[in-house]
Amino acid sequence: MATTMNPIENQELSRHFVVVHPLDDVPEEKVDIESLGPMPMTASVRISLLTLRAYLVLMMLLVFYRVVMLAGWFGHHS
Amino acid sequence: MNNKVLMMPAAEAATEVVAPVRGRVVKSKWTRDLLTFLMVFGPGLIVMVADNDAGAVSTYSQAGAQDGTRLLWVVLLLLPVTYFIQEMVVRLGIATGKGHAAMIYQRFGKWWGLFSLVDLELVNFLTLVTEFAAINLALTKMGFDPRLGVPLVAAGLLLIAVSGSYRRWERTVVFLCLLDLAWFAIAFWVRPPIAQVVRGSLVPGLPPGGITPNLMFLIIAIVGTTVAPWQLFFQQSCIADKRLRFADVKWARLDTFLGACITITVAVCMMIAGNASLAHGFKFSDPAQMALDLGSFAGGFVRNAILLLMINAAVLGTTAISLSSAWAYGEVRGWPHSLQMPVRKAPGFYLVYLLCVGAAAGLVLIPGAPLQLIILSVQVLAGVMLPSAIIFLQLLLNDKELLGEYANKPWNNAVNWTIIVVLFVLSLILAAQVAAPNLFPAG
Repeated sequence: MATTMNPIENQELSRHFVVVHPLDDVPEEKVDIESLGPMPMTASVRISLLTLRAYLVLMMLLVFYRVVMLAGWFGHHS
Repeated sequence: MNNKVLMMPAAEAATEVVAPVRGRVVKSKWTRDLLTFLMVFGPGLIVMVADNDAGAVSTYSQAGAQDGTRLLWVVLLLLPVTYFIQEMVVRLGIATGKGHAAMIYQRFGKWWGLFSLVDLELVNFLTLVTEFAAINLALTKMGFDPRLGVPLVAAGLLLIAVSGSYRRWERTVVFLCLLDLAWFAIAFWVRPPIAQVVRGSLVPGLPPGGITPNLMFLIIAIVGTTVAPWQLFFQQSCIADKRLRFADVKWARLDTFLGACITITVAVCMMIAGNASLAHGFKFSDPAQMALDLGSFAGGFVRNAILLLMINAAVLGTTAISLSSAWAYGEVRGWPHSLQMPVRKAPGFYLVYLLCVGAAAGLVLIPGAPLQLIILSVQVLAGVMLPSAIIFLQLLLNDKELLGEYANKPWNNAVNWTIIVVLFVLSLILAAQVAAPNLFPAG
């Protein structure tokens, strides 16, 4: 206990820092995602997600088309 | 040694134990900060340097070999872009202690979780094929039989991951990342035109042909290779696996920033190597051939160094991408998924890693694939998919219920929306170019 140490020893200890690697440290308490449940589907979140879905499908088709053209699998280049 | 009181989980409620915590005692604040940084250091550097994978070597050197130093400014512009995106992942990972796939699954529901997972696994697998294709190519140019070399590299990749120690994996991979600095020696060796490099970096300009379909394709490939979707998943899972703490946020940011600086300057070196090949009149076909071309006038060091660095880039890319797949799959399935666990405790996690590495390695040994085309196309595919991945990230980072004080500030949102708009514009230009190629004059 610090109170049982002599003042010089105590002062010496207070000038020291202990650095702990994250993997050696006690696990920290984080946000409990399970208790939060799903994100509230507000109109803006819903629209963002639907737009994303359409965007991804369209883009993947276009890139596939481009690659096929560049590879000349149909006998001509774009 | 330092002792901390550890509360056991509910199953062992009311049991209070004193868990020994291994730490190092230091005397000065400066040493404390340096040591803390070195302990936190890793995920940011690895994600950034692994991003300069085989596809990136190919894309950057092609950009240099095709357009000289004129597109250097594009690469430099990507430094803040890549940092800001990954910095959001740092906050998300530290605040939640969970991976990105788990986060999407839990906050957006099963459908979106699976959707993101399938997207990720698909692009990752295609990218892994390109990594092994590059290893195959480099080994062939070095005179090694790829039928022997590729399985050996795959076995090495398995060995570095299955030790059951995150730290051992991280140290090995950080060492490989530092080898990437040899690109500086190559750039110096080929005698770069300094004035031209400075001008190309600071003055935005275009090649003489103007905006052509191929130039746009190359720019989107550069963006796609510098900022890739797997990076979001990888760094967040890596941070969760390393159990970074709230107090580590500033060091994790510094780690990410240093990684971004290294990856971008190495990319510039790759373009300088490509530019040297252009200056000597060589026509670019792939980076391995470029190594032989440069070697013909710059010597054996440059030739062998580029070929070895190609393999190193592919190895780094493979371990990071395969891990991002394995972590993501493990998170969504609820399997144990940690490099800290031995194989017997996380068999599913290591099996996904094994399958990713093994299947991609096996596929490239089948002859006849147009390697350069596959490499460039994967980068473009990743570039096109990135805006969607960032929007997911943006929604999560604005989730105050989830992140509290770590949620995006207004200035974060302003920067991120600017990045998203730029990425969308690039993707839409690609779409327009594919749908109506005549909009763009031929170069």
